[in-house]
Amino acid sequence: MLNTSEVVEVCAFRVGEHCFAIASAGVAEVLSSAAIAPVPLAPPAIVGLLHLRGRIVPVIDMRQSLGLPDRPPAAASTHLVIRLADDWYSLLVDEVLDVQTVGADRIEHPGKPVGGPAADAVTGVYADAHRLVHLVDPERVVQALHRQRTVPFVRHGDPHGG
Amino acid sequence: MVGASHNEEFIQEFLVESAENLDQLDRDLIALEQAPADEERLASIFRTVHTIKGNSGFFGFSKLGALTHSGEHLLGRLRDGTLVLDDRVTGSLYSMIDAVREILRTIQATGAEGDHDFRELAHRLTAVAAGDPATASPAVPAENPVPATRAAEAAAAAPSASPASPGADRPAAAERGAGESSIRVDVGLVGSILDLVGELVLARNELRSVSADDPAMVAAVHRINAVTNALQETAVKTRLQPIDHVFNKFPRTVRDLAVACGREVQLTIDGGDTELDRTLIESIRDPLTHLVRNAIDHGIEPPDVRVARGKPRAGTLALRAFNESGQVTIQVEDDGGGILVEAVRDKAIARGLVSAEAAAALPDERILQFIFEPGFSTAAAVTSVSGRGVGMDVVKTNIEAIGGTVDVHSRPGCGTTVRVRVPLTLAIMPALIVRSGSQRLAIPQAAVRELVPLRPDSDRHGDRGGLRIEGLEGGPVIRLRGRLLPVVFLDEFLALRERTACRDRGTVVIVRVDDHEFGIVIDGVRHDRPAEAGEQGSAIHTHAGDALPAAAATRGVAGIGEAASLSTVVVKPIGGLLAQIGLYAGATVLGDGGVVLILDLRGMLRAAELPPARDADPEATADAMAAGERYLVCRTGRGRRIALPLERVIHLENVPVADLQPLGDRHVLRRGPAFTPVVDADRLLGESSASAEDRISVVVCGGPDGPVGIAVRQILDVVASETPLQPALATSGVCGALALGGVATEVLDLARGLPC
Repeated sequence: MLNTSEVVEVCAFRVGEHCFAIASAGVAEVLSSAAIAPVPLAPPAIVGLLHLRGRIVPVIDMRQSLGLPDRPPAAASTHLVIRLADDWYSLLVDEVLDVQTVGADRIEHPGKPVGGPAADAVTGVYADAHRLVHLVDPERVVQALHRQRTVPFVRHGDPHGG
Repeated sequence: MVGASHNEEFIQEFLVESAENLDQLDRDLIALEQAPADEERLASIFRTVHTIKGNSGFFGFSKLGALTHSGEHLLGRLRDGTLVLDDRVTGSLYSMIDAVREILRTIQATGAEGDHDFRELAHRLTAVAAGDPATASPAVPAENPVPATRAAEAAAAAPSASPASPGADRPAAAERGAGESSIRVDVGLVGSILDLVGELVLARNELRSVSADDPAMVAAVHRINAVTNALQETAVKTRLQPIDHVFNKFPRTVRDLAVACGREVQLTIDGGDTELDRTLIESIRDPLTHLVRNAIDHGIEPPDVRVARGKPRAGTLALRAFNESGQVTIQVEDDGGGILVEAVRDKAIARGLVSAEAAAALPDERILQFIFEPGFSTAAAVTSVSGRGVGMDVVKTNIEAIGGTVDVHSRPGCGTTVRVRVPLTLAIMPALIVRSGSQRLAIPQAAVRELVPLRPDSDRHGDRGGLRIEGLEGGPVIRLRGRLLPVVFLDEFLALRERTACRDRGTVVIVRVDDHEFGIVIDGVRHDRPAEAGEQGSAIHTHAGDALPAAAATRGVAGIGEAASLSTVVVKPIGGLLAQIGLYAGATVLGDGGVVLILDLRGMLRAAELPPARDADPEATADAMAAGERYLVCRTGRGRRIALPLERVIHLENVPVADLQPLGDRHVLRRGPAFTPVVDADRLLGESSASAEDRISVVVCGGPDGPVGIAVRQILDVVASETPLQPALATSGVCGALALGGVATEVLDLARGLPC
């Protein structure tokens, strides 16, 4: 997919102990905090909805998506709001790090750094000065949630027990 | 580069404009067929063709140019009077319009005119213009001249017949004039304006909650409030389009279908200026076309059959659109053979949809509804016995998908009327904001029948009214007016928390979806800040989630208001990720900035697998009817003490008299896009209205066709009846009297239907 002479600009973020990045072109904005309205019976990785200038944006918890341990209650989190075609999503991450430029030739095939429903959303890996950064395809993160089952409904019994 | 993209823009504009012009051409040509001497109309047709020809030359579309040139030539001969309009002429002109459409479609898709050769048609047009009778042998059904002539003759023979299309009595020139005062705006732009207005509403709400005691500030906030409301209403209106956008196609469709089916059909169109959200206009196009096709194919009989039955040769197909209770009703009515109820009944039994005994007991109106069953009407047996054609289930599904309803009425031998009701817009709707646990949710108000408080078990025979949940071992139900309705505990259903041990608190929202009625048990309410003084009754009007002071008023007297907070909400899409859950139709942002999901009741019904409501045993019903029913007691403008069954009351409002807008010989109360008809209680009692005070109270009751308001001077109390209703005391507008609070009180007759 990537030509060896290409460079990509990515936005790096931290989730748990791991470092990830997505193409910065798709990033709409970063919100340090926002009121989240829960959505009953949504897949567990969807923590709710936030209201962003007239738009209703689903919030996806990246810890859940990538199979990482739940965020401790007091830990800080940040909304990385992205845009995929006409749909907007907020990726709930621990911390947004920086915007980096990566030569496509530095990107290698990933191992299996994470599990979770969106494990195959990790499409590549590269090393920056400090650590390994895993490239994430946000489209696949969303796709993975489409496949995820929601909590089954409570069945309503027959009024006559028959 | 810039030039190229500009050119593209112009071409796009040309395509859109031409498409509209072609529709106009269809209508003009049909009108001309009926009145060939109408020079003004001929001139209009000529101008339209000339415009298309000119533009095609400008963009270098040579085929289009050649074709319209031939057409223009032919029209020129007509205009000079050297050629008389006959079927050959109209036939070839229709062919030209179709060919132009085809070329435009090709240009739209590929940017070029395509390979199709229209030279033969151009030759034919020229030959017809030359008056050469050897050419122009009818090839396509649209050109089959015979029935069309008869239609024209019939129209000429019966000039008193209802007017044809709206185009027939409105000069085309005037329509053009209207076009010049409008501009084309990208739909996305309108969408962002609406979003921004939504934002403004939220900012306004914030401002209102912080505004200080400074009277100047208060006044300014009030002004901003008013402007914001007006702005939102106006912004919503920009999405509305006259339903003519759909109706305009029908004169041509009807003509072609009539020719193809060998029918003679007079089309009348009424209320084409009724406005509807443009997205909905697109959604009703196919269902309506289907209904029209059915009416001609299966409804209206062939001319000889009609004559044999003593009807006029030409059948009448009437399309009507009008506003009704905040919705738009579209009616497709034919005077054909009607639907044979017995054939439908037999078919329903044969298909196992209903038992023979049950079918025998069902009224004809109910039997007719079976034609909406999937696959039902495809049966040839029904079609050949003059039933409806294929796919009524598809019509119903499509209409229901946009929150509408379809029903059918038919009188054998006299015709069929199909009535489609759709909301004005899906962008804004009234909704009930409810609370379950810590979750707030919105229920579309169109589906809400009533709110009923639950009655604690300990209060079994108390006079506080309310209902109890029964059938705990099976599925929970409530008993309401002799019917057992299944109920869903919202907290349990949405897995918000364990089912509360205490199941006798809260409120049941009775909703109706399709033909299913069920109850949703909620905790109650959003507890909002107290309504500000001077805002009583008007806050229902404010958008995006303001609390409804009318509900506060209800709270005082009825106690059910605690569960209800009515808001006009702006519906926002939630995206595929959440839509797949199947329980939410969208989301909205309330006045406090909170995001609230809108329940998809149809999805809920499916997911909960609720059994249908059924009739309770009659004994218990009689008992419930005897006494203990609760009534809202009011005083009318003339001072009469009257009562209304509380079950029928949806909510109460206190409004300035000026808010009631006259509409014909009645009044309506406007709430966002919805109109509620309001009738004075004194008028119901057969008296004249008293001179009005500044403000009046309006009791909004559920009627068969939606909410109806009853204007009274004062709302006194909610009281449980001490005696059964005594029908012997019925008089005009009154169905009886009973003792309420120790005073004999007349009960307003809501059952007979309200005269508004």
